[in-house]
Amino acid sequence: MVTQEELIREARENGMELFPIDKDTYELFFGPQHMATENFSIILKMDGNRVVKAIANPGFLHRGFEKLAEFRPWYTNIALLLRICVPESDVPEAIYSMAVDEIIGWEVPERAQWIRTVVLEMARVSAYLFWIMGLSFKLGVYTAGQWAAAYRERFMRLFEELTGARVYHIYTIPGGVRRDIPGDKWLRQLRDTVEYVKSKLPDFDNLVFENYITYRRMEGIGVMDKKFALREGVTGPNLRATGVAYDVRKDDPYLLYSELDFEVPTMKEGDALARALVRRYEIEQDLYILEQLLEMGPPSGPYKVEDPRLKNLPRFKVPAGDAFAHVESTKGDFGAYVVSDGGNKPYRVHVRGPSIAHGIRVLEQLLVGARIADVPVILMSLDNCPPDIDR
Amino acid sequence: MTWEVGENLVKSILEKAPYAEGKVRRERRLEFKVPAERIREFLMIMKEHNFPLMLQITAVDWPKEGEIELVYHLMNIELGTHAMVKTRIPRDLDKAKMPTVRDLYPAAETYERDVHDFFGVYFEGNEKMEMPWILDDPEQGLYPHRKDFDMLGYVKKKYKILDRFDENKDRYVI
Repeated sequence: MVTQEELIREARENGMELFPIDKDTYELFFGPQHMATENFSIILKMDGNRVVKAIANPGFLHRGFEKLAEFRPWYTNIALLLRICVPESDVPEAIYSMAVDEIIGWEVPERAQWIRTVVLEMARVSAYLFWIMGLSFKLGVYTAGQWAAAYRERFMRLFEELTGARVYHIYTIPGGVRRDIPGDKWLRQLRDTVEYVKSKLPDFDNLVFENYITYRRMEGIGVMDKKFALREGVTGPNLRATGVAYDVRKDDPYLLYSELDFEVPTMKEGDALARALVRRYEIEQDLYILEQLLEMGPPSGPYKVEDPRLKNLPRFKVPAGDAFAHVESTKGDFGAYVVSDGGNKPYRVHVRGPSIAHGIRVLEQLLVGARIADVPVILMSLDNCPPDIDR
Repeated sequence: MTWEVGENLVKSILEKAPYAEGKVRRERRLEFKVPAERIREFLMIMKEHNFPLMLQITAVDWPKEGEIELVYHLMNIELGTHAMVKTRIPRDLDKAKMPTVRDLYPAAETYERDVHDFFGVYFEGNEKMEMPWILDDPEQGLYPHRKDFDMLGYVKKKYKILDRFDENKDRYVI
């Protein structure tokens, strides 16, 4: 039988040594199979219970999206790019479509803008529910996690009825949306779902967000301040938890957001608990936005641009130019830079995932000094989406 | 931010940096073109004009012109204004070098590594310049986002479909 010492020696002989040999510290490979790391791998240098150094290793989950996009016609790219962020797949669709709209100079019809806004907000709520599920599993509150998964299912069903797919919707396309809303029944169902989820939020408060255990596990852990967050390019709820009220929906409004009334919740502490609470308040705001949109009702008119170019999609061409579009996702500021050389394929697509800032440098710095039990909590409070790190 | 505020911002930036070109693309979108050797100087001026957030560094390969275009995406949080700072450098491997902006925008470190990985642009002064994503694979060549990267190189070699390639038809004949 091979002993552990022999294994370690063999690994070191094969160049596996990551940190200099030290009597007091040891290496710990945390994840990706570990349930608490969300298919994310971190290599830790531990001194007893404390992390001395961390190396984030996002790995190769998906590869080559940006290169693949250069070899596919403009429209088929949507089915590829939306795979960048799995829980919130409508965001990459939206940014790509908005950038292409800008290059062509299309004015998207009002009805399509309304539908796009509804879809983005639905995606936000369901992504936050997905995050609550992850967080409560990490904290050991399994009941809340199962509730969140069940409520998310309601949104998935609505998505299925609207787009024909549960996870990857392929719905927002350049020039509008792929098809119209199924009818008034769907709107009624959406209204019911919004009311239902809203009525269930106090349960989450009782079980997760006002729980003594949550406070003990998350308070004062993984603290970052305003300056650090801006310096490292942190965006989204993570930035808002440090006191900066930067929200793309408010500061650089797109679609219908300039007409809607909502608040941007901020907190000053900048620790894991603040990040969690900011997300909790955001769900409320998102549901409020959905209510307003439903009250507004879908404007009449076409749901996509009427353009003869749309009749032959494989030969569909976009004039030369470049554009940058970004939206506020639950992970942060999600942007796409699209360049066209006038052909029927994009010349270059670059997607700016927010997790590339949160998942590598910020995570490595926040983990230093943390206890090993805090590692999954910090990881979860940053809400990384590993696939958008290695597009 | 209205159009006027953007124009005033561009004017005030260009007063301090007369070597650059700048314009307002549309509301809340600015664009600047800067010579590569003065990029650090220019980003310092941008930082003074309240652009604290670096969203990303992108590169676009233009082989016909023999250049790589680097695009720095900056965000002004108070005005909600996005600025693109574009610069061009030669794409020859020994000349594709840029000064790092890691000390001005620490977030740039990851993006610089990213660009180095995919385009082979070397950022002088960035200590963490190792390749995080791409494994050295000489069979396929390096820097996969360059336009002359041989996408089928490995497949051609391994599966010997090279002889099935008809150059007149510009496709594989099976």
